[in-house]
Amino acid sequence: MQRRTFLHSMALFGALGVCPSLLANSVSGSANAISVEQLPELKGELTLYLGRGEGGLYEDVLNAIKKRNPSFKLNIRRGPTAALANAIVAEAKAGVRRADLFWAVDSGAIGLVSGAGLAQSLPKDLISQLKPEFQFSNWIPVTGRIRTLPYNTERLSADKIPDNIMELPESGLSIGWAPAYASFQSFVTAMRLIAGENATADWLKRMNDKATRYAGELGVVMAVERGEVDLGLANHYYTLRLKSGKPNARVNLAFTQNDAGCLVNASGIVALKEGDLAANFIRYLLTQEVQSYLASEAYEIPLVGNVAPPKGLPTLDTISPPKVDLTKLADLRPTLSLMRKAGVL
Amino acid sequence: MTRWPRSYPFALIIALIALIPVAVLATLATDSADMFDSRNLQVLNNTLLLMLLTAFGSIVIGVPLAILTTYVYLPWRRFWVVLLAAPLALPSYLGAFTFYAAFGPGGELETISGITTPRFNGLIGTAIVMALYTYPFVLLTTRASLASLDAGQVNAARTLGLSLFRSIILVVLPRIKNGIAAGSLLAALYALSDFGTPAIMNFDTFTRVIYVEYNAFGLSQAAMLSLQLMVIVGLVLILESRVKGTQEQPGRHLMLWPGKWQLGLMLASTLPVVLMAIFLPLTIFFLWLWRDGSGNFEITYAWNSAHASILAAIFAVVVALPVAYAAIQGKAGRIMERITYIGFGVPGIVMGTALVYVGLKLPFLYQTLGLLVLAYVLRFLPLAVGTIRSTSEGIDSSLVNAARVLGASPNEAFKRVTLPLTMRGLVAGAALVFLEAMRELPATLLLGPTGFETLATYLWRVYEAGYFGMAAVPGLLLILISGLGLALMFSGEKWNELKQL
Repeated sequence: MQRRTFLHSMALFGALGVCPSLLANSVSGSANAISVEQLPELKGELTLYLGRGEGGLYEDVLNAIKKRNPSFKLNIRRGPTAALANAIVAEAKAGVRRADLFWAVDSGAIGLVSGAGLAQSLPKDLISQLKPEFQFSNWIPVTGRIRTLPYNTERLSADKIPDNIMELPESGLSIGWAPAYASFQSFVTAMRLIAGENATADWLKRMNDKATRYAGELGVVMAVERGEVDLGLANHYYTLRLKSGKPNARVNLAFTQNDAGCLVNASGIVALKEGDLAANFIRYLLTQEVQSYLASEAYEIPLVGNVAPPKGLPTLDTISPPKVDLTKLADLRPTLSLMRKAGVL
Repeated sequence: MTRWPRSYPFALIIALIALIPVAVLATLATDSADMFDSRNLQVLNNTLLLMLLTAFGSIVIGVPLAILTTYVYLPWRRFWVVLLAAPLALPSYLGAFTFYAAFGPGGELETISGITTPRFNGLIGTAIVMALYTYPFVLLTTRASLASLDAGQVNAARTLGLSLFRSIILVVLPRIKNGIAAGSLLAALYALSDFGTPAIMNFDTFTRVIYVEYNAFGLSQAAMLSLQLMVIVGLVLILESRVKGTQEQPGRHLMLWPGKWQLGLMLASTLPVVLMAIFLPLTIFFLWLWRDGSGNFEITYAWNSAHASILAAIFAVVVALPVAYAAIQGKAGRIMERITYIGFGVPGIVMGTALVYVGLKLPFLYQTLGLLVLAYVLRFLPLAVGTIRSTSEGIDSSLVNAARVLGASPNEAFKRVTLPLTMRGLVAGAALVFLEAMRELPATLLLGPTGFETLATYLWRVYEAGYFGMAAVPGLLLILISGLGLALMFSGEKWNELKQL
């Protein structure tokens, strides 16, 4: 098991020739994705609050960073994003600061932490590495995820699926969704910002009659694959991961056009203490190597330069995601009250 | 004014410490505006139904199994006891998840056998899974009461012409009410506070509403809802305290020697429980292990789990002793004991957050193993208190009095008479705390030292990311180590039985 981790980290940073996909990416990569070779060595100690589980893939990235920087010590605390965000705010109030960095699974938690005035501003050259729509002054989006409509390939074909999310309730399809899931709530917030409160409330009510509720979006995708429902609402990577473990899975992805239904959201990282070390650590996450590793292994969408998107997902420019300021997605309270009034939560 | 029993000051301090998280929640909840949403009524209804069905189910399964394993002469008796208590070693969320993966159209059972099975979900599905994983509470507390029951009355009843079955119903059951009630109370509280099982089974309970609020950064609303949940917990505790035990002379308990086919029939009737609660999840895990391999698991996670849980078990028992004795000695003590039960009814994530605030007041403790162990003790203390109390209640107080008359100091009487007689309860209580601490997740994530990975936190990591094949190794190890804990518990029991014979 140790050996496997070791091999992963070797493939990630060391021997580029070992891993064909990395090699391919580094040849075709654009000029603005920086390689780890160009980065300064990290020296010192940081504590990272990591707001997600992840089956060892983030672990591989963090291990590879540690391995490359022998005089750098990284302490990691994992937990549900909301719990860690609450803990960070509580720590700040009590004057006991333990976290230097907070890597959150969705932008809502980032909003909570920066709303409490805890997010430090970051160097401009770091921010400018990201695609323009992902540039913010006090947090760095690390990877993206897109809202998709996974559908059962035995029960329907892509052309039966409306490309407007607002028409979904009238499509006659059975639908699975996970309203308690953070990414779903961010999506409803985006709909609120794009289509307005009334249209969103109306959509939720119409959907509620047609939809089966699941605890999480992994559950939604599994239910679609099993044929319990025709189609679901979920982040893209659950479908791609399911298919990687089960290549003949009866599920495929459809996208809506230019509405909240294909919102691109991001996981992001915040520096909670000033200093170069934290910023330099973030630089590692935006390198060619890490971004393409997270794309190929975790099926997350790279947000830097021209790093290729995960296999099985069209590139971002062929999809037409809506233009939404991601930090505004932190405004969850009105969304929850809409969802509650519609009887969805 | 009469002198307070010696256990009272200790019990009072512990009860006050147990109240700290409640105080934190109350402070957090003051920010919140909405008291009670009318939509929550449905959820409240669901929660109460689930609680009642779980308690009922755990009694229906647990009591007959307790009688079977205590009063019937079984070949390899200890094997059966350990096997039937084994669901304790399996966290109910793992059980629920494998049930979800196994049953229904497209489930693993269909993939293997081609037979489509009905789905397991909703109220009934959740209650069945909950009952399958909480009946061991009833089994153990009932066994403890049964073992200390003198067979004389049953023999008298049978001599007077009552059938065996009716004499068990009429003579035995009323005397073990306390044990059954203690076990089903734990099952009910478990049903109230568990989040994973209803979430996986797609059933709306109070914990789910709390979880939704919490994840949407409505900490104060979540705290308010937790306080409401605590009111329900409080009502359950008051109800249970009405059940009164009786003092009895201890003696040799009943032993039945059934014929071969009777024995076969009895053991066969346990089969569905064993198959569903133990065999099915293990099979699914081995299937996943075979299919997906072990991932990047490290063995230190298992050591961390065991280490923290053993500490929690030891401390919980030490803390539980004065509380359990206080509960026997008087009404005030009883109230103090009840207060310590509150922790068991609070959803883990809320308890974890409340303790973050407590820890922040004591920065030297924050994010240390010490605070984590304290959290485990606060959450699982009732398990130790309950078992210790129910065994100590069975102790004849005249034994202690005799020791005192013979010149022993209260301390000596405690050490040489009371403590050895409560040994079974101590070991059982420690084992229960150990098992629960092994599987505890939210408080471990929030309160453990930074970088402290346990089997449960690793399971969470892989499950959350959707790589549940990787759950096989930690899942199986969790079951294995919990199984060792169970074995330890029963080795304690054997020691006690030998002394009785």
